Amino acid sequence: MKFQIEDVTVYFPYDNIYPEQYSYMVELKRALDAKGHCLLEMPTGTGKTIALLSLITSYSLSKKTNPIKLIYCTRTVHEMEKTLGELKLLHNYQLQHLGPEAKMLALGLSSRKNLCVNPTVVSAENRDSVDAACRKLTASWVRELAAANPNVPTCSFFENYEKSASEALLPPGVYSLQDLRSFGKAKGWCPYFLARHMVQFANVVVYSYQYLLDPKVAGIISKEMQRESVVVFDEAHNIDNVCIEALSVSVRKQTLEGATRNIERMDREIKRCVGVGRLEATDANRLQSEYKRLVDGLAVRGNLPASDAWLANPVLPDDILKEAVPGNVRRAKHFVSLLKRLVQYIRVRLDTENVEKVEPVSFVQSLDQQAAINSKMLKFCYDRLHSLLLTLEISDTDEFLHIQTICDFATLVGTYARGFSIIIEPYDERMPHIPDPVLQLCCHDASLAIKPVFERFQSVVITSGTLSPIDLYPRLLNFNPVVSRSFTMSLTRECICPMVLTRGSDQLPVSTKYDLRSDPGVEKNYGKLLLEMVSVVPDGIVCFFVSYSYMDGIVNSWHETGLLKEIMQHKLVFIETQDVVETTLALDNYRKACDCGRGAVFFSVARGKVAEGIDFDRHYGRLVIMFGVPFQYTLSRTLLARLEYLRDTFQIKEGDFLTFDALRQAAQCVGRVIRSKADYGMMIFADKRYTRHDKRSKLPRWILLQLRDAHLNLSTDMAVHIAKEFLRKMAQPYDKTGALGKKTLLSEADLEKMGDGILKDVLF
Amino acid sequence: MKKLESSNPQALSWCVTLAHQATGNYARLEDRLAGIEARLSGLELEQKVESKLSSCAGKILNSPSVASISGTKSCKGEEIGKHTMENRAIKAISVLDLSFEKQYMTDKQVVKPVYYKSSVKDPGVRGVLKMNKDRFVFTPSDPTSSVRLNVEFRTITGHRFTKQETKQGSKPPQCLLNLNQDQGGYLFQFDSFPDRDICKDFVARVLEMRDAGKAVSNKSATPVHDEQLSAAEMERRIKLLQENSELQKLHKQFVIGGILSEAEFWATRKKLLEQNSSRKSKQRVALKNDMWSTKPLSDGQSNRVTFNLTPEIILQIFAEKPAVRQAYLKFVPNKMSEKEFWTKYSRAEYLHSTKNVVAAAAEAAEDEELAVFLKRDDMLVNEARRKIKQVDPTLDMEADEGDDYTHLPDHGLSRGDEKEVLEPQYEPFKRSFSQYLNQHAAIVLQGRVVDVESGDTRSVAEALARTKQAELAKDVSDVDMDHARLERVSRMAEIEDLQAPSEPPVAPLSIKDPRDYFDSQQANALNTAAESDFCSTQLNFSIRPSLAYSWLNESITEIKTGGLADPLISSDVALKVFDSLNQSMSCTKFNVGRNPSDSVLDSLPKDTKEELLHHWTSIQELLKHFWSSYPITAKSLFSKATKMKDAMSQIYPKLQELKRTVQSDLRHQVSLLVQPMLQALEAAFAHYDADIQKRSSRNAGRPNGY
Repeated sequence: MKFQIEDVTVYFPYDNIYPEQYSYMVELKRALDAKGHCLLEMPTGTGKTIALLSLITSYSLSKKTNPIKLIYCTRTVHEMEKTLGELKLLHNYQLQHLGPEAKMLALGLSSRKNLCVNPTVVSAENRDSVDAACRKLTASWVRELAAANPNVPTCSFFENYEKSASEALLPPGVYSLQDLRSFGKAKGWCPYFLARHMVQFANVVVYSYQYLLDPKVAGIISKEMQRESVVVFDEAHNIDNVCIEALSVSVRKQTLEGATRNIERMDREIKRCVGVGRLEATDANRLQSEYKRLVDGLAVRGNLPASDAWLANPVLPDDILKEAVPGNVRRAKHFVSLLKRLVQYIRVRLDTENVEKVEPVSFVQSLDQQAAINSKMLKFCYDRLHSLLLTLEISDTDEFLHIQTICDFATLVGTYARGFSIIIEPYDERMPHIPDPVLQLCCHDASLAIKPVFERFQSVVITSGTLSPIDLYPRLLNFNPVVSRSFTMSLTRECICPMVLTRGSDQLPVSTKYDLRSDPGVEKNYGKLLLEMVSVVPDGIVCFFVSYSYMDGIVNSWHETGLLKEIMQHKLVFIETQDVVETTLALDNYRKACDCGRGAVFFSVARGKVAEGIDFDRHYGRLVIMFGVPFQYTLSRTLLARLEYLRDTFQIKEGDFLTFDALRQAAQCVGRVIRSKADYGMMIFADKRYTRHDKRSKLPRWILLQLRDAHLNLSTDMAVHIAKEFLRKMAQPYDKTGALGKKTLLSEADLEKMGDGILKDVLF
Repeated sequence: MKKLESSNPQALSWCVTLAHQATGNYARLEDRLAGIEARLSGLELEQKVESKLSSCAGKILNSPSVASISGTKSCKGEEIGKHTMENRAIKAISVLDLSFEKQYMTDKQVVKPVYYKSSVKDPGVRGVLKMNKDRFVFTPSDPTSSVRLNVEFRTITGHRFTKQETKQGSKPPQCLLNLNQDQGGYLFQFDSFPDRDICKDFVARVLEMRDAGKAVSNKSATPVHDEQLSAAEMERRIKLLQENSELQKLHKQFVIGGILSEAEFWATRKKLLEQNSSRKSKQRVALKNDMWSTKPLSDGQSNRVTFNLTPEIILQIFAEKPAVRQAYLKFVPNKMSEKEFWTKYSRAEYLHSTKNVVAAAAEAAEDEELAVFLKRDDMLVNEARRKIKQVDPTLDMEADEGDDYTHLPDHGLSRGDEKEVLEPQYEPFKRSFSQYLNQHAAIVLQGRVVDVESGDTRSVAEALARTKQAELAKDVSDVDMDHARLERVSRMAEIEDLQAPSEPPVAPLSIKDPRDYFDSQQANALNTAAESDFCSTQLNFSIRPSLAYSWLNESITEIKTGGLADPLISSDVALKVFDSLNQSMSCTKFNVGRNPSDSVLDSLPKDTKEELLHHWTSIQELLKHFWSSYPITAKSLFSKATKMKDAMSQIYPKLQELKRTVQSDLRHQVSLLVQPMLQALEAAFAHYDADIQKRSSRNAGRPNGY
């Protein structure tokens, strides 16, 4: 359908639209008009993504003279694929109605691991080794060598891509990763470098958060994005965590050992260069010219060939020192000795009996005193290392991750004095008998990493199904949104049924509170709840647990008591593990089991990979059970340090923040069941603590509205009864467009008929 | 022979059928006899039966009467004797046939000493159990005991028995046989398993035979007789007959009545048979979603730990753990015996159940075969790597891992959940319960890939290995896979309730019993028929040939240029045609009554209605065969047509009788219904007579038929 929002003609690829989608678009358009940032919470299952894509592309089409670019950030690759799938649908629709003028270029961007088509490279185990394998074939020095000696292997895809130079372009269209690979294969061009090149020209770019937020990645990928861009962070309820993770580093024993090996290797390489230098000038000259360059104050050579680019400086662009490298690290061997001293110092610090928490300032001071490394030298560590590795022409970068970690740490510590702390723990709190010393540089200030994004781009949209309380995010991220709205869901029928279960059938309370957690009675009651539910609910059921260890424990105990066996009489059981491959296959099988009608249960972990981005819509999830309240591990030092920082800086109480964090996770988990208004699903919060107002009130409004008072304090048998009733009700046919007066599905004609005023009546 | 006859009414009825058919089929009869003899030689028949057979077979073969019939037509005036001889021979043979089918157990009986028990715990009453093919009798050894049984197998609905398993450490199971009735049952305990098994098999056969008899009770359609049919084919036909009452009636009337041969009857129904066979006849049993509890049974006192393995469990182990399967194929029986193998395996399982990784590693270091079970299953890992490529990209979390720069080693914050850190040398020995759960569910979901009935472990293992290999071989090509993946993504991307409703998915209609179906449909069809005036739409038939020709031309060129449209006819048009056909059908059939909503047939008394319908179908059948035998090119066709004509001429008076006897107020309607049948029959008779005349005149033209 096609309709007007003020001066913009919006092309929407469906025949009908939800009223909340319409008002979402209206708000979004206002933000775009104001060229400001906005914060929008809209329930899952109301077609947020398509509303966003459709408005922004239509907006861009209507502003022909200065079209805006859309940078769409997803948390995961599979969400990226889903978004591109929806964009394809939209694009086809626009082409149909507008013809060639609607043509645009949209593409997804990912790492080499997901884009490479060279069979020898892509067969490598993980991302780092794929990156390194690629570099071994494409680094500039390798290609120089290959030009002289045809026996040196190169990558034909990259060579072809380089040869066609400026002709290597993607024709307009929407490209998922799969499409990019197919295109690359067909043309014989490297899809990874092609995509990276095309990102500058594309109308829509879809990639992961980190490509904008993490300076290490953003530095090489997102350098040249225009200001007239709209940046969208979808499913952004965790964005503060992504931001602080991007600037945090931890160092362990293994890291230090690896770093030592790396240093030795660099040492050897330098000696070889110098030694060879007597006979052959080039190698020694390389070091010499590097020195000269550093004297000139260029820490990094400008205009590196794309294939040489490594992860960029871990520090945000504005904070990078733009001055000459200090004299005492210009020479390669001096720099190596500095690294040696640094590693030695950290080793000593790690070797402690007690937990220590220090501020970066005092850490740098003591480093200066004991190892004679001042903060300026620290700041240059990363760039200096990068330069050295390039000079030494090292291509197996995956081997040098350890020393890179050390340098990242050094540069961050040297640059930031506020918002960070260093925590040294000799062992894990939960396993005090196993020594596992770790030094962590924790970032507490989420606004640091996202600040350049807010400054660089004209509009930043932060949106998710769960952003409650919505006023907290601007404080955490330190920005001023021009629009900040939370939408509810207008339901045609009551298709979601949240319940709070506090007791088992035996009336004993259930909870994952620390003192009740391993109580066999609670475990049994949880098991009984699931057993009752699997016999009542059709198709798929998803269960979320508070942590892996808790899940392992309770599943084992169900197995031992025979409960699991009884559950398996009704449905197949799949479980998330820490192995991603296995979990993916389990999910795939879970879907198959739901598709064929066998029915299945999926055990998963809140804050796990599955909870983060897998939808359990329609028959893939008719019921979600959240076992317990997914609090973070409250004794963790890093968390305590962050809470302290939040209290001091933003006056946010520890308890409030913990509850907020736990509840947004829980809401995120249960929100995955619903995808559209035709869909339906139940949500059970199985913990007595959910009855308390301070917990419950932090759930998003669209869930709270459906949570009846009668469902606040249920026992297992009552929940089963409600579930039966609900499922029977949902099985009846219903009128999709909504009952009289309250329309939940609008057609083109409806939109034409009413102005904005009427729409408000319909909605609220 | 007499005894055989009396003891087997079933066989008798078959014999009658046979006798009818046999009149024309002596040559084949001889063949069959030879076949039986051949089969006989391979079997140990009881002396009694054998002698009977040989004597009667001898009689048949040597009897001058048979020879006279099959050979020359000389008549010796032994009409009566001849017929009895024939019949007897036929009977004997059919009974023998039957006994081959059922392993000649019809006149056998089994006698075993047993305990009769009221429950499993009950010590029971000692006595003797006698079983013959239609009843079993229990006589207690203590003559004073009041417990006596004399039960017909007719009342027995099924039987159950205990499994013979030799578990170590548990007490040997009782050898029980339970004969179920609708209410309650009879429980016998035997002295030994072999005794029990003899009785069990006997009961099974008796019940099976009885069920077979019941199912096709009036059919006797059956085995053989004039063509060698595979058992599967036979089964299919029987099944069809069971499903379709109408067909069954026809079959009874004509085939058993001897008017049509079995082959002729089915020849016109090939399609039905094919359809039926294409449907999967046997439902495959899925794997049980039951995990083999690795929890070992220990008796608490000694240090012995017991594991139980059954063929089902072994199948499951092989399916879930390819490494074990491979090891089995490699080691057994060359390197170790089956028992040793499973002992080793159990030991490995036990080690895992203790969750002591270090101990497992230590054990594995000492024993390399044990290490196979203890180590991580590399085949599974490889398979996972292969499968991950085919996974739906919208849930491919592995790709995500590949894109994650925050979680560079040591970057980011350590999560609350730490992985257990293991030293690398122990890594391969770590196994989690979750892994096992997922693998198990995946296998159950896959279903029973191999269909191995036998308990032979090796063949199970080999079959599984083969299917895996085949799976690898037919791995879909990259392009197909990508395409499928993309399609899936785009399907997932749509939000269905914003879309206009799409066409409902269509399921093919399969009508098992047409009469049932159409009877129930009539009322509906009539209702709609009554509402719309279906007769008003008059098509314009007055089309000039030239116009028609030009239309034809037009559509030909259209197809030439545009190709055939898919679907050929637009569904709207098809539906319209279908509707109007439906209506006109119900119209002609039922519009006879004043009120179209109740069918004329319903107003008739039930008997009359049944009779009418039955006559109708039988006339249909006969006419079909009658007309299909024209033009007559062979003598057999001529005789067939004659036979059909005779059969029809038998029905003709019946119809007239029906017309006459029906109540006067219904007479008009009945005659309306009967009239078309009569006309059809008359037409057939007329054609037959005309044909006969033509033939005879032709023959007359050529003296002596040449």
